[in-house]
Amino acid sequence: MGLRMKIEGSESIYLPETSITKVVFGADIPQDSNARSTDLGSTVLVSGRILTPVDGEAADDTSKLARWSLVPAENLDCYRNVQVEVVNASQIVRQIVISNAFVVGYEEDFTDETGAGVFKLLIKQKKDKMANVKFEGGFSGE
Amino acid sequence: MGFTLKVEGATTIDLGTTSVTGVKFRTDIPMDSNARSTDLGSTVEITGKILTAVDGDPFDSTRQLGLWALVPAEKSDCYRKVSIEVIAASQVVRKYTYPNAFVVDYKEDYGDTEGVGTFRLVIKQKKDKMTQVAVEGGYSI
Repeated sequence: MGLRMKIEGSESIYLPETSITKVVFGADIPQDSNARSTDLGSTVLVSGRILTPVDGEAADDTSKLARWSLVPAENLDCYRNVQVEVVNASQIVRQIVISNAFVVGYEEDFTDETGAGVFKLLIKQKKDKMANVKFEGGFSGE
Repeated sequence: MGFTLKVEGATTIDLGTTSVTGVKFRTDIPMDSNARSTDLGSTVEITGKILTAVDGDPFDSTRQLGLWALVPAEKSDCYRKVSIEVIAASQVVRKYTYPNAFVVDYKEDYGDTEGVGTFRLVIKQKKDKMTQVAVEGGYSI
């Protein structure tokens, strides 16, 4: 199962299947509501590896993720378009588009026992733009 | 994968790849916000070994980290410039720079089964100076 992520904003960030190890999609709905609540949110957690470039290739885009997480709220660039794809057997199982995503959590973890660092990116859709979240899949690609 | 830590202030603390064993970088944002929050922080956790000097080597500067953790808030020396490098395969994978870092936690741990002690330092950038945090990387040494 291959996972890919593309982020479009003032710069574009692309992380291929060699980098991303896990995607968790979640809808945030209050669990104590008696009927369907209007308080609806959407969160995506993306985990992956921070790869070291070898043989003179370009560095991966993970450092751009770290810088995105530090963009202040006053700057429009804190909202970016994120597309996550789950590809399996030439089929796009899921294509999730979070059109106005902002970072709520970012972590990088390096230890001397592993050859690659890991990152965890937690993003949310701007809550008043929830209708623009696209949750597609089940079509052939590649 | 190796790490170097440099702290510049009243004294300079240099810890190299033999000492530092792990680096965790985290951006602190309230998770319950409906839109991008202005409440933004940045934290780095550094773990490493407290090495014993042998053969007349100078002692490592981990003791200086402990002293930094004890500097009272009234002194300007509690804010120091910290740069951390993550190095692998002759590449600088990350270089974090915190020009106004302060200590939020420092712990040293010693036991009778290990040959070395370990330390864990947690630092944060002064929140009103967040724009000066720099994350670089992806270039060769």
